[in-house]
Amino acid sequence: MLENIPVLSCILLAPLVGALLVLLLPKQQGSWHRVTALVFSVIPLVLTLWLFASYQTATGGAPYTEHFTWLSIPLSRDLGQDISSMLVNFDYHLSIDGISLPLLLLTSVVSVMAAIASVHVRKRWKMYYALFLLLETGMYGVFLARDLVLFFIFFELTLIPMFFLIGVWGYFAREKAANRFLVYNGLGSAAMLLAFLILIATAGFTAVQGTDGVQIAYSGSYDVLLNNIADPNAYANMDPSQTGDAGLHLSEGLKNWAFVLLLIAFGIKIPIFPFHTWMLRVHTEAPPPVVMIHSGVLLKMGVYGLIRFAAFLLPAQLEDWSTTLAVLGVINILYGAVLACVQKEFKLVLAYSSVSHMGIVLLGIASLNEIGLQGAIYQSVSHGLISALLFLIVGTLYERTGTTQIDELGGLAKSMPFLSGILLTAGMASLGLPGLSGFVGEFLSFLGLFGSMKWLTAIGVLGVLLAAVYVLRSVLGITFGPIPDRWTDIKDARFVEAVPMIALTALIVLLGVFPSVMTDMMQQGFNGLLEQIQQRAGG
Amino acid sequence: MTFAQYAWLVPLFPVAAFAVLITLGRGAGRQAAWIGTLASLVSLILSLCIAGERLSGTVDEYNAHFTWLQIGNYSLNAGFDVTNLTSLMLVVVTLVSFLVNLYSHGYMRDDERITTFFAYVALFTASMLGLVLSDNLLTLYIFWELVGVCSFLLVGFWFQKPEAKAAAKKAFIVTRIGDLGLLIALLLLFWYMPGNALDFSSIHNVFTTEAGVIAGGITTLIALLIFLGAVGKSGQFPLHVWLPDAMEGPTPISALIHAATMVAAGVFLVARTFVIFQASDAAMTTVAVIGGFTAIFAATIGLAQNDIKRILAYSTVSQLGYMMLALGVGSVSAAMFHLFTHAFFKALLFLGAGSVIHAVHTQDIREMGGVGRNMKITAWTFGIGALALSGIPPFAGFWSKDAILTAALTHQPLLFWVGAVTAFLTALYMARLFFMVFAGNPRGEAHAHESPAIMTLPLIVLAVLAVVAGFVETPFNGWFGEWVTGEKPEAHTSAMVIVVSVAVSLLGVYLGWLIYAKGTVRRDIVSSRIPGLVKVLENKYYIDELYRFILVKPLGGLGKALAVFDEYVVDGVVRMAGQSAAGLGRLNARLQSGQLQGYALTALIGLVIIALAIAGRRFW
Repeated sequence: MLENIPVLSCILLAPLVGALLVLLLPKQQGSWHRVTALVFSVIPLVLTLWLFASYQTATGGAPYTEHFTWLSIPLSRDLGQDISSMLVNFDYHLSIDGISLPLLLLTSVVSVMAAIASVHVRKRWKMYYALFLLLETGMYGVFLARDLVLFFIFFELTLIPMFFLIGVWGYFAREKAANRFLVYNGLGSAAMLLAFLILIATAGFTAVQGTDGVQIAYSGSYDVLLNNIADPNAYANMDPSQTGDAGLHLSEGLKNWAFVLLLIAFGIKIPIFPFHTWMLRVHTEAPPPVVMIHSGVLLKMGVYGLIRFAAFLLPAQLEDWSTTLAVLGVINILYGAVLACVQKEFKLVLAYSSVSHMGIVLLGIASLNEIGLQGAIYQSVSHGLISALLFLIVGTLYERTGTTQIDELGGLAKSMPFLSGILLTAGMASLGLPGLSGFVGEFLSFLGLFGSMKWLTAIGVLGVLLAAVYVLRSVLGITFGPIPDRWTDIKDARFVEAVPMIALTALIVLLGVFPSVMTDMMQQGFNGLLEQIQQRAGG
Repeated sequence: MTFAQYAWLVPLFPVAAFAVLITLGRGAGRQAAWIGTLASLVSLILSLCIAGERLSGTVDEYNAHFTWLQIGNYSLNAGFDVTNLTSLMLVVVTLVSFLVNLYSHGYMRDDERITTFFAYVALFTASMLGLVLSDNLLTLYIFWELVGVCSFLLVGFWFQKPEAKAAAKKAFIVTRIGDLGLLIALLLLFWYMPGNALDFSSIHNVFTTEAGVIAGGITTLIALLIFLGAVGKSGQFPLHVWLPDAMEGPTPISALIHAATMVAAGVFLVARTFVIFQASDAAMTTVAVIGGFTAIFAATIGLAQNDIKRILAYSTVSQLGYMMLALGVGSVSAAMFHLFTHAFFKALLFLGAGSVIHAVHTQDIREMGGVGRNMKITAWTFGIGALALSGIPPFAGFWSKDAILTAALTHQPLLFWVGAVTAFLTALYMARLFFMVFAGNPRGEAHAHESPAIMTLPLIVLAVLAVVAGFVETPFNGWFGEWVTGEKPEAHTSAMVIVVSVAVSLLGVYLGWLIYAKGTVRRDIVSSRIPGLVKVLENKYYIDELYRFILVKPLGGLGKALAVFDEYVVDGVVRMAGQSAAGLGRLNARLQSGQLQGYALTALIGLVIIALAIAGRRFW
């Protein structure tokens, strides 16, 4: 049924079309904007669900791949006599695999939930929803793109709507937060661009002997880079004395630089200590639906980037850096957890808890085995769902109380039993209770890393204990205890607020009880990387 | 067809009841709570069928499992085992759960969240049943954590009380310290076991027939880490601090936690992984010493408490110490036997205490007295429970305590004497409790009245069990131990043990009677002479204060220090970098027109230039 239409492009472009439509709608009709945004967020959700259902691990993403040349810039200076053409190719190349599909699904689920949660947005709906949809396209693009330049463009595309969504619709210190967001992520983008350019200029080089001479091309295509770096006969891997051109050689030093740059670029996004302070402000100042997207999906772009480019393209460097990565992960876990224990603002507890949970993802990546790598992706998806749910609750709560200071709240289980129940469930998921998704991600990451670095894992596991401390301290602070008089009459969640909460909770339970719905396809995604790592270990 | 094949249904009924009750929510009304009770009854019947089948000895042990998660060549399984040990536990858990269910219809009838209460109880029961049935350590760990969270929910059931909130939080966090140990033990086993197997039968094979596959140091480490988990769950020193505070939960829950679920899990875990302990002398000694120490340590605290439930709580800690002691000296059968009898008489004591609290509306035994006159059934049944706990023959506790002391005498004579002194202390504090509550004249204001039949019926059933349950294994008939462990127990008839344990128990009861009923010995006989000792006991050896001082405060201090560091150093560096960049920006500002298109164009041109520069580098 859907075989003949470009599904991936549809997913990518549906929100963009929605954004244009929202801009065309009359300004006064708030509900039209909302419905349009919702409809054009649901379309990708339906399509990703269909992809998820029809995805075959045997064939992988091949049946859905869309690939054609997007930009071909001829470089016509001084062509040598043997050279017939010299091009810089940028491709429009979309594909999926077992790693990106779970994240794609996460994006579509969180987007829809955040679109519903945007019901509390009170000003300038039109602009809000247009930016919101634009942000969605950016996110889909990041997870779909298989060309470095295309990826970079989508990665940047998410920054612009985020900047405005924080700066215009956020809380009191919103502009400062937006600026901080841009400064940090701008830095990250610069590092990423530099790393990509290094890779394209070396490993992106191919020369093909044609009838009228050699056709030379520089390509940003992920597949070309992957093949060239893995192939010992590619120019990038040849000694300069053989090719006579030092510029093409992707030396070990250069690889190392590229890896470090990518680590910084995606480390800011994840975020890795000490690059985390910008996201604290986003967590506290951005409107809750935007934080749902931010904490739920945008942080995972960092994880995805790190795995897709740093790990897959430069597996040797990943191995060299794996201990450092694990140390950084442990620092993230403990630093975030200890700080989450002393925060008075619930949103900051959640922000630091994200720092801690993303540390677990780093441990999974550092493990270099299939258990840990799957754990990293699983933890990303799980954390995305859990933090989306938590910020959904924060939004609902703030709407009624006007505060999320833990000291000012208390006893809300009395007046809001449903919301409190969901909050407690989300908290339990966050502290890794078995039966909920958080446990699987954490467990696999720890299990994986334990196979290679026992001591670091044992230290990192302490984060699980601290998670119990900060989650219970904050969640019980809000819902348990005597209820202050001013909160006795507040109403529980409305239907429109309850629906996304139930949906997210159901998914968290589903992933906690039946993890194999996701792990089977993830396995296929990591096969290539694991082979490379094993080959190195063997040779 | 065998009943064992359907053992998975035993936890499933309560799970279904939980799902229904939690969905119905508060609006469902009191009658809906019977769904939970019905589910526990069905589970009980099925468990009895399974146990009956095991007793008949005609069917083999049954195992069924499936792959929960497959990652490359590694697979993580889930499954269940039906053995004599598990079928025994099934019966104990479902029976106590069913009786607690019945009782709660009376005890909780005026609570507006009664359906939520029954939902939690159902989930609690189901988790414990799942734990008992698990055929591998990972499945067990999953249910282990669920048991913990259910206990947390029920301890904090009266969430508006600040004490309940604090107690729930404490219960969860303290037991989680132990859970970490179990988790790391799980990780160790996974990577050290041949074939990454985690199931108990493989563990059994590796540690018995293939000894040496896992190095001795690692074996000890694994055993100690598993034991850490058991210490947390079973309230052993030094992680016992959560258990007395857990008394903030409704009393039926205390009965459930202290008898059949939660605290029993720790002992069960050690029994289930016993081969690992046997492979390490150091681990066995640790278990025995911690168990013995906890037994006597908690008994001394129990002497000085005035809250009826706290006295019982410390007695649980102490009795669990006995069970650990038994395991540490190598006798799984004695430990499981005591677990079995203790489940009945401790459930009885807690439900009896609940009946009293229900009547007099206080938990302070100094405000009670003479309650027995108006509450005959409660008084009689409580008395039976107290005698069973004190180890007076022929009540159940006597036989199981005797088995433990005999085992201790054979392997660790010193610990035998610790156990004997503990038996004396136990009899003393139970006599104190009983006489202060039921004998003498009323000291409080409320007039006691007997509880309704739905509450006294479970008391009577449990009282009967507290009398007869001990006869499954006597020094003259060692049937139970062999059935549970599959090994012929050592000949363990020792006249000395019987004489000593009966003597110290009777002495304790007699002394208690002299002090608290007859009044021949003055109550302040100790406190007037050594006031410091009583103060230390009343304050539970200041262990809570110690934790606050060495763990909670430093963590808070570290957090605050890091918060300052995060704000001013980590963020500050970036702020400074940002400011210098801003200075550069002002210089640049002249070049900028302020129009978005202009910026975009500049950016694009820049990008193209960089791309071309790098791509064309070799030709320039």
